Amino acid sequence: MTLLLKLSQLIDWLNERVGKGAFWLVLIMTVISAGNASIRFVFDTSSNGLLEIQWYLFAAIFLLCAPYTLQKNEHVRIDVLSGKLSPRGLAVIDIIGTLFFLLPMVVAVLWLSLPLVAESYRIQEMSANAGGLIRWPVKILLPIGFTLLALQGLSELIKRIAFLAGRIEDPNSKPKGPTPEEQLAAAIAAAKAQEAK
Amino acid sequence: QSLPNIKWRLTSSFPKSLDTIYGGADVLANRLREMTGGKFDIRVFPGGEIVPGLQALDAVQQGTVEVCHTCSYYYVGKDKTFGFGTSVPFGMNARQQNAWIYYGGGQKLLDDFYANYNVVSFAGGNTGTQMGGWWRKEVKTVADLKGVKMRIAGLGGTVFAELGVVPQQIAGGDIYPALEKGTIDAAEWVGPYDDEKLGFYKVAKNYYYPGFWESGPAIHFFVNKKEWDKLPKEYQAAFQAAAYEANVTMMAEYDHKNPIALSSLLRNGVKLQAFSDEILNAAYQATQQVYADESGKNPAFKKIYTEWEKYRKTQNAWFSVAEMRMDRFLQSRK
Amino acid sequence: MEWVIANMAPLMFGALVLFLLFGYPVAFALAANGILFGLIGIELGLLQPALFQALPERIFGIMANDTLLAIPFFTFMGLILERSGMAEDLLDTIGQLFGPIRGGLAFAVIFVGALLAATTGVVAASVISMGLISLPIMLRYGYDKRLATGVIAASGTLAQIIPPSLVLIIMADQLGRSVGDMYEGAMVPGLVLTGLYVGYVVLITIIKPSAAPALPPEARTLRGSKLLLRVLTALVPPLVLIFLVLGTIFLGIATPTEGGAMGAAGALILAVSRKRLTWQLTRQAMETTGKLSAFVIFILVGSTVFGLTFRAVDGDLWVEHLLLSLPGGEIGFLVVVNIMVFLLAFFLDFFELAFIIVPLLAPVADKLGIDLVWFGVLLAVNMQTSFMHPPFGFALFYLRSVAPPAIKTTDIYWGAIPFVCIQLIMVALIITFPNLVSYGDEHQKELQRMERDGTAPPPAGLDTLIPQGTDDEQSSDNADLLKGLQGDAK
Ligand code: NA
Ligand code: NA
Repeated sequence: MTLLLKLSQLIDWLNERVGKGAFWLVLIMTVISAGNASIRFVFDTSSNGLLEIQWYLFAAIFLLCAPYTLQKNEHVRIDVLSGKLSPRGLAVIDIIGTLFFLLPMVVAVLWLSLPLVAESYRIQEMSANAGGLIRWPVKILLPIGFTLLALQGLSELIKRIAFLAGRIEDPNSKPKGPTPEEQLAAAIAAAKAQEAK
Repeated sequence: QSLPNIKWRLTSSFPKSLDTIYGGADVLANRLREMTGGKFDIRVFPGGEIVPGLQALDAVQQGTVEVCHTCSYYYVGKDKTFGFGTSVPFGMNARQQNAWIYYGGGQKLLDDFYANYNVVSFAGGNTGTQMGGWWRKEVKTVADLKGVKMRIAGLGGTVFAELGVVPQQIAGGDIYPALEKGTIDAAEWVGPYDDEKLGFYKVAKNYYYPGFWESGPAIHFFVNKKEWDKLPKEYQAAFQAAAYEANVTMMAEYDHKNPIALSSLLRNGVKLQAFSDEILNAAYQATQQVYADESGKNPAFKKIYTEWEKYRKTQNAWFSVAEMRMDRFLQSRK
Repeated sequence: MEWVIANMAPLMFGALVLFLLFGYPVAFALAANGILFGLIGIELGLLQPALFQALPERIFGIMANDTLLAIPFFTFMGLILERSGMAEDLLDTIGQLFGPIRGGLAFAVIFVGALLAATTGVVAASVISMGLISLPIMLRYGYDKRLATGVIAASGTLAQIIPPSLVLIIMADQLGRSVGDMYEGAMVPGLVLTGLYVGYVVLITIIKPSAAPALPPEARTLRGSKLLLRVLTALVPPLVLIFLVLGTIFLGIATPTEGGAMGAAGALILAVSRKRLTWQLTRQAMETTGKLSAFVIFILVGSTVFGLTFRAVDGDLWVEHLLLSLPGGEIGFLVVVNIMVFLLAFFLDFFELAFIIVPLLAPVADKLGIDLVWFGVLLAVNMQTSFMHPPFGFALFYLRSVAPPAIKTTDIYWGAIPFVCIQLIMVALIITFPNLVSYGDEHQKELQRMERDGTAPPPAGLDTLIPQGTDDEQSSDNADLLKGLQGDAK
């Protein structure tokens, strides 16, 4: 169990790194999109590559952030019924869900995507558009993202089992400390106090 | 002995709204059911229902579905050689394309190439020479093309880029508003019948012709090689006959519908414009350069291009005789 | 076993409800339902395992769908507005301005919602940014939780009916009509619907004033010229952003999708210039955008797994059979279709509805002589409820994800119900007053009708296209070409 918990910590660490790295792509994607539109308008020049890199980046964002989102328990649930359950009950739901809902789909898609990525790499597939980009770097994001997601599922599984065994605290409990909204309220209050001086 | 019941799925690259092109797959499926007493049953799915429209060939290659109805030139990103099956810039017209595929050695050349992708092909429709798209401003000279932002895919975009056009493959839903406001200056689609439905004429009045990048684009059925080989001979023959029919009727249907749509467009104030000789010449030169460059680095492309170009020239000469004289004479009689 | 095969589609629906209620994330419950029934289908011989190979292709399709870029752009813009406090300033100030009026904040939300709707066609982006911006403020001023969440979710779904709109684009595509006509036709219904929302809030302020209070006098700290100045300064950022989003689209600088990026970039620059932006805030905004994008797109991923199996087990044919057993008559057809779409919207999201139902309905409607643009707008308004239906409306999921824990999920559900009713009233209005949907000019529609019926006047103008001149001038010199031919023969 200790070894498994170490593995879980390692996976969490990895996906937090990956997720937090991928967030920066939001800024880059925004700048490219707004920049491309402005330059196209002013200088009448652009390229399909600049359009395609935007959805490449977005694919990277949602695929690489999904495992971290799972770790933070922020994939949306319908908690009408389960909301009334105890932490232990929720942990059981998550164990069943991870084993029978998450992992089969993730592993199936991961497995089935490999030949497509390999084929894209073999023929060095390009965009069909003039000035477009090479395709395998975006296609390979699918198996990478789903591998990380499968690992995160494994980590969540370990944590729920460890919780039921009394080894760790409830992994579903919200992290301590202020929420972003509370931080915002504090920041605004501070700014107002500053103005008042 | 009695023939087996066979159920196939066909993924089309086209939405149902492109009813004429999409209908080609229905022609195939309906005829096959009629010819085999319902035993060979192909269910047709519009683009996106099983796999996205532009990934239809991949789905057949992987065996996800047995057959698809698509344009080979959607896959020029895999290999520019895919252009020839449907159409490459300054290529052949619909009849010449049929002549090449059916009798000019085209089928063999194409299927040898498609073998790398685990599929066999059957011509299954044609739109005829397409239109050159909707332009907000007139373009008379090559200089007018500089900086024109156009939504155009594939090799046509590559050729236009050589002339200073900025190809911008913006999101499908953005085309209409972007063309309306001038974010892009031009967009091309098919011909009068399909173009009218998109309503581009309301926001870009200059309707140019010809779409020199699509002079006779053939639509194809691609069948997974393994599935094809498994078919009883009788079904193979029936499939082939049904594909011939789809090929002939689609072209006839377009030839019937396009003049009606064009006259409706003209009544709506569309300004019909021919690309000038200067623009066509420059585009033709740029195209030859693209072919030379690609032939230099892509043996598969070079192999088909060499044969294809010879055939095109012969066809061109023949069409300049009886066909052209007859057309021109009748067109000059009101 | 025969019974199972014949009823795969309703069984799938039933199981989906159970799977979703189980409480595991929606994205994976949807997918698991698709996988499970896919396996059952393979076992029963309804489909081949190879069909699953379509899954990665379909997910690549989602990755390559550049329309979805609007989601992160508008979310990021909303977050920067919120995190930098500029949105709060705006709504605060509008709150001050509408101070004495009951329901003032709710009106502001509807107004802002309609404005956002005019910039984006994606419900997710609209609901998320509205929820982030307005919900905390409404709660602080003592609004009823249900009214607040209902107003926000409903105003967010306006994005789907006020052009530009993803729904209308898909609808136009499925009906074979022009996107421009759909946009034109949806404009008035979109505005009327906005008006109905406003009317509902007015009603609430009369019936139950405590649900939508006026600002308390002590909260109205600004008066007179001070308030005027504050209004002017607080209005600057949103006006700049509206210009950046709407103006750049209107001036032909950006596409509607890129407009979102223009707005987000503008929000960043504004926040920096007002010294409201820290690295921490930017990181938070990026992180939230990333996580929201991940869960929104993964719901799409889940439903694409579900949708593949649903089609593979002939679920779409099952729906078709339902349709074919409809009673005749135009009004009968419309009423039954709308009830059916409304009920199916409990289970299916808009995209599945549009792809499965619309192609089946359109030919029947066309045969009954129903104008397809009108029909499309009608369905779009009805399908809007699919975003608002408790418990599976996607707008409600999105709102849940950004609502503070103090808001219970049941609050969101109850809050949505009145607005679902309003949307149904709108459906009835469109059926009763078909002229609400107007587009194109009558002359052109008449011509199109005649052309479809084959009664159009002879093609005018086509003969004038033929080049003038004698046939001698027309005959081109083909001697070179023929020489080439002879060369070939040698
Ligand atoms: Na075209
Ligand atoms: Na909208």
